[in-house]
Amino acid sequence: MSDNEVTLTIDGKSVTVPKGTKVVDAAREVDVDIPVFCYHEKIGALGCCRMCLVEVEKMPKLMTACTMDVMPDMVVKTTTDKVEKAQKGVLEFTLLNHPLDCPVCDKGGECPLQDNTFKYGPPDTRMEFHRANNAKATPLSPVITIDRERCIACQRCTAYSERIEQDQGLVMLNRGFYNEVGTFNNEPYNNRFSGNVIDICPVGALTNTDFRFKARTWDLTNTETLCAHCGCNCNITMGTRLNELMRIEARPNDAVDDGWICDKGRWGHQFVHSKNKIITARENSVGGGKPTSFPVFPHDCTIQDAAGKVAEAFKKIAEEHGPESVGFIGSPYTTNEENYLYQKLFRQSLGSNNIDHKSYQDTPGLPVDHYGVEQIETANVVLLIASDPTEELPVLDLRIKKAVTNCGTRLVSLNDQTIALDKYSSQSVQYRVGSEALAIDALANGLARELGEPAPAKDAGQTGISAEDMNTLVETVRSSMKICVVYNPSALSGDAVSRVKRLLKLIAKVPTMECGAIPAAPMTNAVGAMDMGLLPDFYPGGVPVTNQDEIKKQWGENAPTTKGLSALEMIARAEAGELKALLVHRSNPVIDFPGGSRVADALRKLDLLVVHDMLETETTELAHLVLPSNGPGYDEGTTTNIGGRVQARKKALETAQAPDWKIINLMLNALGDETDYQKVLDVTDEIAQKVPGYQEISRKSLGKAGCDRAPVTSVDETVAEQSAGSGKNGNLRLRVATSLFSHDKILDASSRLAHHFLPSTAHLNEKDAKKLGIRDGDTVLLSAQDVTLEATASVNNRCQSGGVVVPRASDWQGVNGLTGADGGPTWVEVRKV
Amino acid sequence: MSGFTFSEKQEKEITGILSKYPFKKSAMLPLLTLVQRAERAISPEAMVAISEKLDCSPAYVQSVMSFYTMYHAEKVGKYMILFCINISCQLNGCDKLLEHTAKKLNIKVGETTSDEKFTLHREECLADCTNAPMMRINDTYYGDLTEQRIDQILDSLD
Ligand code: SF4
Ligand code: SF4
Ligand code: FES
Ligand code: FES
Repeated sequence: MSDNEVTLTIDGKSVTVPKGTKVVDAAREVDVDIPVFCYHEKIGALGCCRMCLVEVEKMPKLMTACTMDVMPDMVVKTTTDKVEKAQKGVLEFTLLNHPLDCPVCDKGGECPLQDNTFKYGPPDTRMEFHRANNAKATPLSPVITIDRERCIACQRCTAYSERIEQDQGLVMLNRGFYNEVGTFNNEPYNNRFSGNVIDICPVGALTNTDFRFKARTWDLTNTETLCAHCGCNCNITMGTRLNELMRIEARPNDAVDDGWICDKGRWGHQFVHSKNKIITARENSVGGGKPTSFPVFPHDCTIQDAAGKVAEAFKKIAEEHGPESVGFIGSPYTTNEENYLYQKLFRQSLGSNNIDHKSYQDTPGLPVDHYGVEQIETANVVLLIASDPTEELPVLDLRIKKAVTNCGTRLVSLNDQTIALDKYSSQSVQYRVGSEALAIDALANGLARELGEPAPAKDAGQTGISAEDMNTLVETVRSSMKICVVYNPSALSGDAVSRVKRLLKLIAKVPTMECGAIPAAPMTNAVGAMDMGLLPDFYPGGVPVTNQDEIKKQWGENAPTTKGLSALEMIARAEAGELKALLVHRSNPVIDFPGGSRVADALRKLDLLVVHDMLETETTELAHLVLPSNGPGYDEGTTTNIGGRVQARKKALETAQAPDWKIINLMLNALGDETDYQKVLDVTDEIAQKVPGYQEISRKSLGKAGCDRAPVTSVDETVAEQSAGSGKNGNLRLRVATSLFSHDKILDASSRLAHHFLPSTAHLNEKDAKKLGIRDGDTVLLSAQDVTLEATASVNNRCQSGGVVVPRASDWQGVNGLTGADGGPTWVEVRKV
Repeated sequence: MSGFTFSEKQEKEITGILSKYPFKKSAMLPLLTLVQRAERAISPEAMVAISEKLDCSPAYVQSVMSFYTMYHAEKVGKYMILFCINISCQLNGCDKLLEHTAKKLNIKVGETTSDEKFTLHREECLADCTNAPMMRINDTYYGDLTEQRIDQILDSLD
């Protein structure tokens, strides 16, 4: 037993736990159940409800097990007459004014108050008077309903608001006999993590408005699966009934979500029943004068026929015009299995490396450790680069707040915009929009100079960062001992991501430094898509296309070993008429890719555009052929989160439609591949065999909590010399920011979260606003690439002068259309209407 | 929410108050008191202004403010009468005296006179049981009350 452990006895059982453990948690270790209401292991001790009273030898009075730290040789008793009497008494009081709502209460069947009363409570009450009444169903927000009569004032929810979400939005008002949970001035309790209070409320006081009276909890089929929104891959339970999604709850996994989910995870899965869901293969009546190779779907075409025809058409075009005339744009939102099979189809069966899934630059793997998210708690310093977790990866925001407030972690950031987490950082260094490459280099060079590594004497270009600020940042990084760098590759322009990797290598050179990184792109399976080789220049597992021996060994003699086209290059080639056929899987380039209307024009020029998607989009409209994709809720497979953790996404809803992996398998078969996957796990097994880093992944290792994949090799990046670009006089550099509740196909107008949708807004620096004669609230026009977008000006110094930040508010806003077709820097003209 | 600003003098006072505490939030009660005295009420706008001074949420200010009976969301009269109705005062006949006071002021308990001079509230034990029955008017305690004494006291306030 180490110094940090304590041994005590609970109900005659000896237990050894770390110092600082609460008695109530120690009891759980030896299966002694101490009832609680207010205590929650992630929120910490409150001592508010007195449900957990226990007897401790040598202590004169009963003690609250939830506030008491274990002590050596302590003897705790939880079943004595004294304790039982106290439990009965506490419950009698708790129930004094509690309504007898159980038959109509959503919590019924999973209610700690019911359970504790059943196990420990008195059989009846001595209360002879009328119960105090209080407000019944009252909206606390558009998605949460509070029943004040059922509240037992345990204060779990308000403690959550104070300690976890930390916005102190939910408080106890009128403390005393009339206390009630409420918000300031009765405003709605609206934040990104509000729904967690529903899960933790030990009674039916805080209820999910959407779920109220929809089903009894014991009638639900609960599926343990993953959130399909961001790269955190939080664990959730989908409760369904009669094949309809009823509700979503958090399913705690410390290594991933620490027990919490965001509101998008909880209420943003309604799209599974969207009326825009694609359910059958179909042929669109677009593009007359079809080439002879064009397949035709008969009216009642089976999916077997459709898949076969698509595959054969691609084969034919590849044979006629060469494999470089076909391409695949996949998705960072889909499962590893689907991505793996699609790249296999294009590489092995069609011989093409024209495979991609993104419109920014990135390469697989890291030159340092790939940290899991829980490492944030043990790092001394977390450095954010171009990352805004609150909007991009919400649950990461909670983890960072926890680390900073409870674990002594220091947060520093290198960003081009102010972010919500700045409140927690000890230094927020802001570079000019578009100068990330220079800023990252400046940090790397500063470090290199300290380490005596080669570095230019002077940093190039203008980043708007003072030398002093940069020196402080260099020093924080250098002296951190353990650092976790969180960077968002999708918010970095040009080759800035390679500069991050160079920086990481330099940090790792600091003596005794432990350095790890988290590539924090917001998309669900961004890491998995990179790992599965949805890239023109890398095979799965980060194997470069130039590694001929390895590729021939794994993928056969005919596997292509020249670099293919990136997604943006494919669009450009389509525009030039050189790319003939394109398959798009769960991606909407018309809206999401830079280039605006040029993308749609380019896609129209294709001989064959097949879109395999779950919801109708602007791209499916242009498709000649549409294949149905099942998508989250219906699909199964694995995804890899930002921390490199692979977890199983399970099927919660049934559909008659063949799963995506089967459709791709049909295509593989049609082109002569003998594969015969019976279930999706057969594909997972093949990934384990063929993808470096995924050797350990299997149904068994995934279990309930997932399994970290081994590091994926990263190539040595060369970074080019850079020159600062310059724009037309007076134009501003555009930064498109992520907004969590963006109004798109997934969160459509009928979404429960529609109240969070933002108007189109342009955030300007005061100086620029003055120069342009724009005031806060003015309507402005932003134009570039022949695209003009309307927005409301917000003059708030979110970025330095010379830049403009536009959050992606909706698909219809079309902000990505402003960015140049090559994905390079974008200068926009901003003028007042 | 805008609409509440501290005067220059108050700002100075606040700086002084804040300098006394290691944590800003500790200055919650002094600031609430400052506003209550100056405005005779604490409006939502004022709670926002206080929350900004203390780096906490307006909800948190409201949760503290709504706990104490000395802070009021509705504007109170120039003289705030807190009439003790707890046990010692009760045994010494506070009920009748309270009724008398209300009648004299021509208001119900909990109300403010139309000239905004007096507000009358019940209060729990104010720890002056030796002099029960008692009431508190603003910062002054008045014990050993009788109807005559109450009349005298109220008449003497302008
Ligand atoms: S609403 Fe629920 S969690 Fe909050 S204090 Fe009441 S019973 Fe506790
Ligand atoms: S943080 Fe991300 S993964 Fe977690 S619930 Fe929210 S959107 Fe889903
Ligand atoms: S659980 Fe211990 S006091 Fe509430
Ligand atoms: S009971 Fe009135 S002062 Fe104590």
